[in-house]
Amino acid sequence: MNPYAMLQVTWWLLLGVLLIGLAVMVGMDMGVGTILRYVGRSDIERRVALNIIGPHWDGNQVWFILGGGAIFAAFPLIYATAFSGFYVVMLLLLWTMIVRPLGFEYRSKIPSSAWRNAWDWSLLVSGAVPMIVFGAAFGNLFHGVPFHFEWNLTSVYTGSFLGLLNPFAILCGLLSLALSVMMGGLTVMNGAEGPMHGRARTVVQVGAAAAVVLFAAGGAWVHAIPGFSIVSGPGAGVAQTPLRQLVEAVPGAWQGNFSARPSLWLLPAIGFAGMAGALLAARAGRSHLGWWFGALAWIGVIGTAGAALFPFLLPSSEDPSMSLTVWNSSSSQLTLTWMLVMAVVFVPLVLWYTSWAFYVMRGKVRAERVAHDEHAY
Amino acid sequence: MKTFAFFVLYMLLAVVVILLAVLLGADGAWYFAWLVGTAMIVLIAAAGAAMLDAQEEQAAGRVAGKPEPRT
Amino acid sequence: MINGTVVDLSRTQFAATALYHYLFVPLTLGLSFLLAAMETVYVTTGKPIYKDMARFWGKLFMINFALGVATGLTMEFQFGTNWSFYSSFVGDIFGAPLAIEGLMAFFMESTFVGLMVFGWDRLSRGQHLAVTWLVALGSNLSALWILIANSFMQDPSGAAFNPVTMRMELTSFQELIFNSDAQSKFVHTSIAGYVTAAIFVAGVSAWYMLRNRHMELAKRSFRMAALYGVLATVGVITLGDALGFVAAHAQPTKLAAMEGQWKSEPAPMPFNLIAFPDQARQENHYAIQVPALLSLLVTHSLDGTVPGIDALQRRAALRVENGIPAVEALKVLSKDPANAAALAGFNAHRQDLGYGFLAQRYEADPGKATAGEIAQAARDSIPPVASVFWAFRLMVGLGLLMLAFFVLALLYTLPNVVHRKTWFLKVAVWMIPVPFLANEFGWLTAELGRQPWTVYGVLPTWMSASTHSVAYMAFSLIGFVALYTAFISVEMYLMMRAVRQGPEENWRIES
Repeated sequence: MNPYAMLQVTWWLLLGVLLIGLAVMVGMDMGVGTILRYVGRSDIERRVALNIIGPHWDGNQVWFILGGGAIFAAFPLIYATAFSGFYVVMLLLLWTMIVRPLGFEYRSKIPSSAWRNAWDWSLLVSGAVPMIVFGAAFGNLFHGVPFHFEWNLTSVYTGSFLGLLNPFAILCGLLSLALSVMMGGLTVMNGAEGPMHGRARTVVQVGAAAAVVLFAAGGAWVHAIPGFSIVSGPGAGVAQTPLRQLVEAVPGAWQGNFSARPSLWLLPAIGFAGMAGALLAARAGRSHLGWWFGALAWIGVIGTAGAALFPFLLPSSEDPSMSLTVWNSSSSQLTLTWMLVMAVVFVPLVLWYTSWAFYVMRGKVRAERVAHDEHAY
Repeated sequence: MKTFAFFVLYMLLAVVVILLAVLLGADGAWYFAWLVGTAMIVLIAAAGAAMLDAQEEQAAGRVAGKPEPRT
Repeated sequence: MINGTVVDLSRTQFAATALYHYLFVPLTLGLSFLLAAMETVYVTTGKPIYKDMARFWGKLFMINFALGVATGLTMEFQFGTNWSFYSSFVGDIFGAPLAIEGLMAFFMESTFVGLMVFGWDRLSRGQHLAVTWLVALGSNLSALWILIANSFMQDPSGAAFNPVTMRMELTSFQELIFNSDAQSKFVHTSIAGYVTAAIFVAGVSAWYMLRNRHMELAKRSFRMAALYGVLATVGVITLGDALGFVAAHAQPTKLAAMEGQWKSEPAPMPFNLIAFPDQARQENHYAIQVPALLSLLVTHSLDGTVPGIDALQRRAALRVENGIPAVEALKVLSKDPANAAALAGFNAHRQDLGYGFLAQRYEADPGKATAGEIAQAARDSIPPVASVFWAFRLMVGLGLLMLAFFVLALLYTLPNVVHRKTWFLKVAVWMIPVPFLANEFGWLTAELGRQPWTVYGVLPTWMSASTHSVAYMAFSLIGFVALYTAFISVEMYLMMRAVRQGPEENWRIES
């Protein structure tokens, strides 16, 4: 493998790490938003739930921003083609996610119960909708997305908004929602006591069980979806445009990588183990352990999807030969090198101070403190 | 009138500082200048506050025993 | 071919979302360091009033910060959603600073901001002070990387077009980040944020002093803001000059538009203090001029000159003609990358590829462009002069107004008499909107002056937009404007409410 190809694969893996970071860290905050109205029955209970993630949601959300930035820097053609093609979906995502910071920051600034209730609903929507959209976006990759390129690589999306809401995509969206609800429940368990802790425990069990079913159903369903396969092209580590290859739709192609490397079956196994572990740990009341199992579940799920699709990133259903792969959509060797240097320096640093922030704010959030602190959410 | 004279004086001083900075820094190492300048601005603002504390203590000392009215 | 209405709507949407975002960002940049200054005094002197100050202004900081974060989410994704061709064409360069911004700066700012708000009881004084400084450093480093990205659009250095991948690619990371436009623009923008925060804090403090409320807090905040503001304003003006100096070399059409300079003139060139530029007739209807000032300002000498729009347009026409063969060769290379003749033809004309794209707007096959179309493409290379001219003058005028304000503020606060100058306190309250307006005019000067390019001289705006339908664009534009307007109303209401409530005077007893 030449150095450029190694960089491309490294960045594909790093993108996976960032997406897992996004799913785990943003997913748990989204989950808390989604279940807020269920686990918190009174205003003060809801405030407790919000203050559990209060010190962290902002930092966690950067995983989402970094995800966007990293796709832009490492795979600019994906950033350009996917986000413009998914226009209405992206608007849905952005508009709901924009509401979230305000929900945290503004909700408890005014005592009116109508005001707070409205923000609680907006937190539910801005927690659930983005998670469904994330999952559905992944689901659509398996079908391919209808787009093509003009001679100068202007991308043209020819599908409709509703086309993105096909049944398989919705199933993936629900899987992502279930996992985020599970993680949200575990997060509330970590920081709350009494009846809230009990309700959150129920949520975790429902979320984890749903995730197991949906992940299994999705796995079975993928067998019926024709995959894509590169027939010929310039290959890895060669500067190229997506106009240079021949790609065909082949039934069963999404299982190809698993047949070639049976060790990849570990990934779905990790996914199921994570979900089951989270469920059992929550039952036993050991929510911190459950949280780590939940993170493992995300690694398994996203890893499974990535391994099935590799080297495809955004297949085109309209003209499979214009599909975007790791090889034809990445940045230049120089950009990937500099970005790798930055990632090697800063990702560990980020993980270090994020862990410190969680360590500083460890422990239970108590209602009396929330009620008396004017700065609390 | 006195205030106006000082206003004009300080404005002239500001203009002179800007001119000097422009001439010295035509192709300046601005990133470095930002680092030093920001630290300086923040510390001067902090020093100004400490100076105000001293001024008020002095004023309170002059009016023997009577502290400044507090809000 | 991209629909012109779609491009216009995409531009409107980007401008609207960026201008909204930019209402909140400068206050974050400046107030974070002012909070750090207040807390530094608290930690060094141990006087609790400074902790009250840091907590009170910190609360206002967070109300503003939330909207900065929310509207910033859109910015990170909008290049992909609405500027698809731009993103794939220059993403190899432009994406990197955006990603580094998240990795190096925004993570730091956002992680520590949570500790800044929630960590008062859990961190030692020194730790909390460090956290506040890191928030300030993080938010300003964010601005650094965003402005490095922006400067690539103004002065694309460190990159070259690669015909194999049909896009611009990075050739030097160092040139990208040490771009002189980036250097001066970052400092200009960052400390314009300091000025914004200084006016905000001074104005709110003045409002308290007028009502004889929270006098200790207000007097100290005012003093700190005045010192912080006067130094920052001097810096902003200095760096503004440096930016003009840089633009004179890198973006001659922007500079000519800023100065309403239609005709080339011999040195020393006069400066148009006030003028009414007419784009169609390419002249100013009326002008008040200061002799020799333009030469002094933009070349720092009496015998320097800058080209007028007439000369720039003639130069553009030649470059359009020279760029057309580059576009044609590129079309051949797209189908057949191994075609040596096309590659040689492309290399002979590559420096004018962007100008060839300008002609392509009128003729999909630019080889067929008529003399009239080439002349039109050359006219297109001139930005909208009147808008740029006036945005620039308003920014500078407001900047000078703020300088005068801060000098006066200093005169009153240093002898500690400002709380007795009622008229001046009233002026201070009314100054609050001024920096926000100046910031917006600054953005307009920089980005309108860059037209018709998204990347100056390389990629025209008309090509850069995504291929959406007019209906999609109308839907999203209305959605953004409605949503943001609702948010800003809520934000202003909460901000004013928090100001009216004032600092929590008893929190130390409660906790």
